[in-house]
Amino acid sequence: MDVAHIRNFSIIAHIDHGKTTLSDRLLHRTGTISDREMQEQLLDSMDLERERGITIKAHPVTMHYRAKHGETYELNLIDTPGHVDFSYEVSRSLSACEGALLVVDAAQGVEAQTVANVHLAMRQNLTIIPVINKIDLPHANVDLVKTQLEDILAIPADTAILASAKEGIGIDEILEAIVHRIPPPKPTGAPSLQALCFDSYFDTYKGVVTHVRVFNGEVRPGMLVKLLHTGKTYEVKEVGSFNPKPYVRDRLEVGETGYLTANIKSPKEVKMGDTFTDAKHPSPALPGFQEVHPMVFSGLYPINTADYEHLKANLAKLQLNDPAFVYTPESSVALGFGFRCGFLGLLHLEIVQERLRRHYGMDIIATYPSVVYRVKLTDGTIKEVDNPAYLPEPTSIDHIEEPIVKAYIICPNEYIGDMMALISEKRGVLDHTETLDTRRVMLTATLPLNEILIDFHDRIKSLTHGYGSMDYEHAGYQVSDMVKLEMLVNGEPVDAFSCIVHRDKAEARGRALAAKLKEVIPRQQFAVAIQAAIGGKIIARETVSAFRKDVTAKCYGGDITRKRKLLEKQKEGKKRMKSIGSVDIPQEAFIEVLKA
Amino acid sequence: MAVRPCESPGPAPATRPDGSVTWEPQVRHLYVHVPFCAHKCEYCAFYSEVPRGDLMERYVKALGRELERVAADLRPRTIFFGGGTPSLLPLRLWERLLRQMDRLHLLGAAEFTIECNPATVSADKARLFRDFGVNRVSLGVQSLDEALLERLGRIHSRRQVFESWETLRAAGFEHLNLDLMFAIPGQTLAVWRATLREALALGSEHLSTYEVIYEEDTPLFAQLRAGRFEVDEDLACAMYDELLEAAAAAGYRQYEVANFARHDGPSETPLPTHACRHNVNYWRGGSFYGLGPSATSYVRGVRTRNAANTLRYCAALETGRRAVEFREALPPLARAGEAAAFGVRMVRGWPFADFTRLTGFDLRREWAEDLAWLVARGLGEISPEAFRLTRRGLRFADLAAERLLRPAPPD
Repeated sequence: MDVAHIRNFSIIAHIDHGKTTLSDRLLHRTGTISDREMQEQLLDSMDLERERGITIKAHPVTMHYRAKHGETYELNLIDTPGHVDFSYEVSRSLSACEGALLVVDAAQGVEAQTVANVHLAMRQNLTIIPVINKIDLPHANVDLVKTQLEDILAIPADTAILASAKEGIGIDEILEAIVHRIPPPKPTGAPSLQALCFDSYFDTYKGVVTHVRVFNGEVRPGMLVKLLHTGKTYEVKEVGSFNPKPYVRDRLEVGETGYLTANIKSPKEVKMGDTFTDAKHPSPALPGFQEVHPMVFSGLYPINTADYEHLKANLAKLQLNDPAFVYTPESSVALGFGFRCGFLGLLHLEIVQERLRRHYGMDIIATYPSVVYRVKLTDGTIKEVDNPAYLPEPTSIDHIEEPIVKAYIICPNEYIGDMMALISEKRGVLDHTETLDTRRVMLTATLPLNEILIDFHDRIKSLTHGYGSMDYEHAGYQVSDMVKLEMLVNGEPVDAFSCIVHRDKAEARGRALAAKLKEVIPRQQFAVAIQAAIGGKIIARETVSAFRKDVTAKCYGGDITRKRKLLEKQKEGKKRMKSIGSVDIPQEAFIEVLKA
Repeated sequence: MAVRPCESPGPAPATRPDGSVTWEPQVRHLYVHVPFCAHKCEYCAFYSEVPRGDLMERYVKALGRELERVAADLRPRTIFFGGGTPSLLPLRLWERLLRQMDRLHLLGAAEFTIECNPATVSADKARLFRDFGVNRVSLGVQSLDEALLERLGRIHSRRQVFESWETLRAAGFEHLNLDLMFAIPGQTLAVWRATLREALALGSEHLSTYEVIYEEDTPLFAQLRAGRFEVDEDLACAMYDELLEAAAAAGYRQYEVANFARHDGPSETPLPTHACRHNVNYWRGGSFYGLGPSATSYVRGVRTRNAANTLRYCAALETGRRAVEFREALPPLARAGEAAAFGVRMVRGWPFADFTRLTGFDLRREWAEDLAWLVARGLGEISPEAFRLTRRGLRFADLAAERLLRPAPPD
């Protein structure tokens, strides 16, 4: 296909604003999928990703569309992860496109996720085609959405297409707009192949299947290609596209989108944003490549220690199709053997945990998540710390920087006070407030990532009775007064509960943890002191009072067998306990606290 | 009556009057369970039933047969009739039973106890008991508070306690025990004090006092589960302290977690004069036959339990079979662990020589780590002769037992 007849585009939307339905509708209208397949797609059960409105993986789909003026176009729909945890992946996917459909729900209007995604698309200089979807809904308010497009996103309202993907309204206009408004790909003018890797998945037979967009030249089987960032060379085995099932093609030409396989054994070899070029006549790399680094870390432990190997195998499986997820073995006095896992963000962490639980049926416990701190030492070196256990001694620390995010919160007017209070509770700074319409406002705030790890989103949802939405993007680092909070049981630190917190938050958190631990630590024959400490200074204390007796009852000949069995059972139970500062603590107690 | 010839089964451990371990050719301790109660108490998990028809007759007959089966291997130094409510058996059945024991040469024990409910003690029964050598009666008083007696489902009243006391003393019993319970739901410290004061004033030779146990399958347990009341550990501790103090002040010597006895004679004896030797044998891991429905025997390291159903029990013996429904023979170390675990309930602890005589193991060596662990926590103390729990350790006898047990490998 000649470049003039190729269009590469994405669809960006907030959860439930109709991205999936619109995609299906476009596939159907272009004849890419049959009526029957369309039915099945629409009735598709909600799996984990759909439930949360996050498609991490979807193949780029190639459609052929005969436009009204009679010419046929190759339209490549490139899916993007729907969440800015994957902002780098989103930006790579977007950079494979020249344009994007921005889908906004006519009844709900612009939401936080819309804002974050539009910003990413604009940064890629994409042509944005706004689509106001669900106009058939009784509560649809097209004028209001148009105002929001202009006011918040600076997108001319008259460019919006009114549609209902569900009812099939506006689909032709959208297809025509893709053809006419989105520019065709422009060859870069480099001397040879430049193909951008924007995604990959692992196939047992073919190895890594890389999703590529050819920016320059062409790629054929048998060609020797080189990945510019890793420097590795491969022989291309197969190229093709998706319709939406993969089909083999003899080559991918400039401007086209599809996949290539080259006997690549490990997904780690293919970094998102890397460039394939002709190994014999290399061209320069495409711009925008970054190494992705996990932003959030948490320890994952099998609840049943016998499941360790099982967990290890499943983590490896997950990583095959999610190279952004990293893990290394670690061990904890309290929880035994497990893995330190790195995630791109909160949602990523949740998804991985949910996958392990649901898809692999694993019983796991996650430790308190930590962000990556930049610790500037007094000798001038910088150390990155994602595990409180490795935080250097306070005396050798000059200062600590913590990652911050720019968060967008959209909520009904009446909750603005609650949101401002929440932001300040979370050590955030409100940057500005915008009125979206007569009902809603958007707050933009800078917040420490560490503060939004746990319950920020849930708090917004509950404070606004479900009407608030939030999204965020990473915004660098700032110097903060961070300290290591340690929990001590009879003087011994319990590693699973150590955390790095802001000094202002340390006491409250220490108190809460101490109180919770008091609830779950069983009474012993002696009093158990639970302390929260910062650098040796005790900031909170609880005591589990001692048992004063365990027996004052009788026991004669007929009672002995039963009593012995009872005691043997207790003895067996204690074997499974962890002994910390001579205090026997059942693993369930740790889990209780971590779950709370 | 032909006593079945018995092959010599080898010596069995027994307990001497001074509490020391000895091995003898025959079993020296006999327990008999009388499974009848007029009414089941709220806390009781022992097997008993309300007698109907000729069940008591059948029971006495079946028990006779069981006695015959073991008589050759039994020369009782202690006998204990427990229940249920042994005193519920009518006079003529008692007479029949005791006569048969006499024929089997099972009488003449140095200590012969029958448990009685204060409501079922009569002068003629007391006399009969005396005539056949019963020299100790254990009176199931539990409380002297009318409301609590009601709460526990006891059939007797306060008044009956004092009346039966008089009856027993009048019949010449010089060895009486009172069973008392504390930490009963609803019992206040003041009520417990009053009961203790009155009970001690009676001047019994022996006192068994224990905290309510919430055993599964009892109404009291169900009530606890249902949240009808809460267990107050501090109160239970206060009551136990009160007990220790009052008993000591009244001249009793504690010799086990829940047992106190009067002592006369030289002060430094291993056991107080009026300690219950029958129970001491349990804690010392000695052999004993346990007859009657649901009764446990422990003979030469083998523990068996009879059917916990009077009809099944009778039917088995009527057809010439034993009524045993459970059998357990622990390997030597596990058996020794059990002896270690339950022996330390005694204030005297385990004299090392006795322990070795009983089990063949050296407590100091095989349990060295556990003894050190208990000593380090102030729960135990070691002298050249014995290991014993401290005063504080006695309150954690279960913890000590847990440490000392040597669970058998699963079979």
